Amino acid sequence: MTAVLTRSSPQAGGAAGRSTVLRLGGMSVRVRHRTLVAVLGSLAALIAVAMWSAATGSTALGLERVWYALIGEGTKGDEFILWTLRLPRLATGIAVGACMGLSGALFQNLTRNPLGSPDILGLTQGATSGALVAIILTASSLQLTTVFAAVGALATGLIIWALTRGGDPSGYRLVLVGIGLAAILAGINGYLLTRTSIVDAFRAVYWLTGDLSGRDWSQARAVGLVLAGGILVVALLSRSLDALRLGEATATGLGVRVGTSRVVALVAASILTAGAVAVAGPLAFVALAAPHIAARLTGSTRSFLVSGIVGALIVTGADMIAVAGIAGRQLPTGVVTGVLGGAYLIWLLIANRKKGVMS
Amino acid sequence: MTASPLSVQDATIGYGRVAISEHLNVDIPEGEFTVILGPNACGKSTLLKALARMLKPSDGRVLLDGKDIHSQPTRAVARRLGLLPQAPIAPDGITVADLVARGRYPHQGILRQWSPEDEQVVAEAMAATDITELAARGVDELSGGQRQRVWIAMVLAQQTPLLLLDEPTTYLDITHQIEVLDLCAKLHREGRTLVAVLHDLNQAARYATHLIAMRDGAVVAEGPPAEIVTAETVHKVFDLPCRIIDDPESGTPLVIPSARARDGENSPSARARDEESSPSARARDLV
Repeated sequence: MTAVLTRSSPQAGGAAGRSTVLRLGGMSVRVRHRTLVAVLGSLAALIAVAMWSAATGSTALGLERVWYALIGEGTKGDEFILWTLRLPRLATGIAVGACMGLSGALFQNLTRNPLGSPDILGLTQGATSGALVAIILTASSLQLTTVFAAVGALATGLIIWALTRGGDPSGYRLVLVGIGLAAILAGINGYLLTRTSIVDAFRAVYWLTGDLSGRDWSQARAVGLVLAGGILVVALLSRSLDALRLGEATATGLGVRVGTSRVVALVAASILTAGAVAVAGPLAFVALAAPHIAARLTGSTRSFLVSGIVGALIVTGADMIAVAGIAGRQLPTGVVTGVLGGAYLIWLLIANRKKGVMS
Repeated sequence: MTASPLSVQDATIGYGRVAISEHLNVDIPEGEFTVILGPNACGKSTLLKALARMLKPSDGRVLLDGKDIHSQPTRAVARRLGLLPQAPIAPDGITVADLVARGRYPHQGILRQWSPEDEQVVAEAMAATDITELAARGVDELSGGQRQRVWIAMVLAQQTPLLLLDEPTTYLDITHQIEVLDLCAKLHREGRTLVAVLHDLNQAARYATHLIAMRDGAVVAEGPPAEIVTAETVHKVFDLPCRIIDDPESGTPLVIPSARARDGENSPSARARDEESSPSARARDLV
């Protein structure tokens, strides 16, 4: 056989496959054009939403006053509004959304299931259990609720890992175990709610809705740290996870350490969920919707980065709408993500019915 | 002295606590096209999984180049040994070129994602499997035979001297089965060592240069098809009475199942017995 070398190799592979390779010495990084466009586009949208959120609100600052306050030349009042009220909330929203987007992408990859998100797999319910315990047992400081929620989500992730360990590590097993856990935890949460006073129950329900109001820099920092760790892990794992999408057997054949990759991904996704939910409450559907939107934007299976940015965009965008509120009254952020996410899910079901993906 | 690049030594292989094969010894001869065959549940796929390090023997060892396969870094193994599993999964919407490019995984790293060599190897793999024109197409648009060639191209892009194929023809119609087997034969002629699990005895006899016949988790016979495929062995392995003739196309052994019935003792008198006790016969059918 003579090896025929053609130029119609991957680079020329259709619109979705066009890419540029950056080479430096022995290093090479491959950038798909469409992914690059998706990253830049979603980043631009995120920046626009962030600027709008900083400039508007109960006191409209306008972009000019925001700029002066930002560089330290604004009035005391403006600087207080920006640095103490708006930026921490904005930073928290971006980090929380990015954590949820990343964890959703990780879970969908692990379960190879379009519905594989922390909401479905019980992690959110686990966080809720933790938060409820904190609210009932203590006079309920936000800090303690945060810590307990994180512990609840992590414990759930640990239980999922323990129950799916050993046997056939297929996505189905993970989904089924997660759904079972979610049902159990939902029952426990219902019980916990009936044991609370009406005041605590109100606070609990408010937490359950998910909200970003009143978040300060300490929370932004905490979830920011979680995000940084998550990004690092995803950067290291993304190629293995992508190979895992070809099935465990193929991935093994390609030299992926299947077991290790899956465990690290599960732990990372649990920590990302725990960090996000602990700080903002279980903002509905962000983790579910972000990876789908990212996949649609990039046309690629390797869309962790875009999924994170889209998650941040959803949360900050929803928070922007929540702050604007209905008839002048602010809404909890989770109400907006829930309505938007629910609408998206229904659209997804309809759009996929032809392909039979959800059946 | 072992000329065998890949071997199973005194291994107990199974799933969980269920052992499929005990004290199994198999040598894959270098440069041969080995086909593993046997009836359903004889342990042939289990053996292939053990050879591909997907299953770790609970006892004994699998050796690649003389060293325990599980003690070598899995990426290093993936540069020696390629695997096409029985039901690989193509992610939604992936293009042919992208899927073939996945085969470069064991040669790449975070900082070395796409070298000129990667590009050249992928192009060669697509040319060798005759799918270059399909490069930009979505894998889910292809026919079963084309798709199988794409998967083989992906494994070829791995550039391994050893190839393991788990039932590569199972979901294909006869034309595409032959197409895939011809491709395998070509890869073998080019110097690769192939190991495949096949169901079809006659295809195995025609394409293999080395046969391993298994039953109940043990190797019953092994050697070149011309020596192995005898009426006696076929009966021993498959319980199938048959005649062996020369394949008029290739001269390899051709198995012709006996015209009577499957059951060796199914003489006219035995059939009469069956008809008398028809309720129990029907019950057996239901089971």
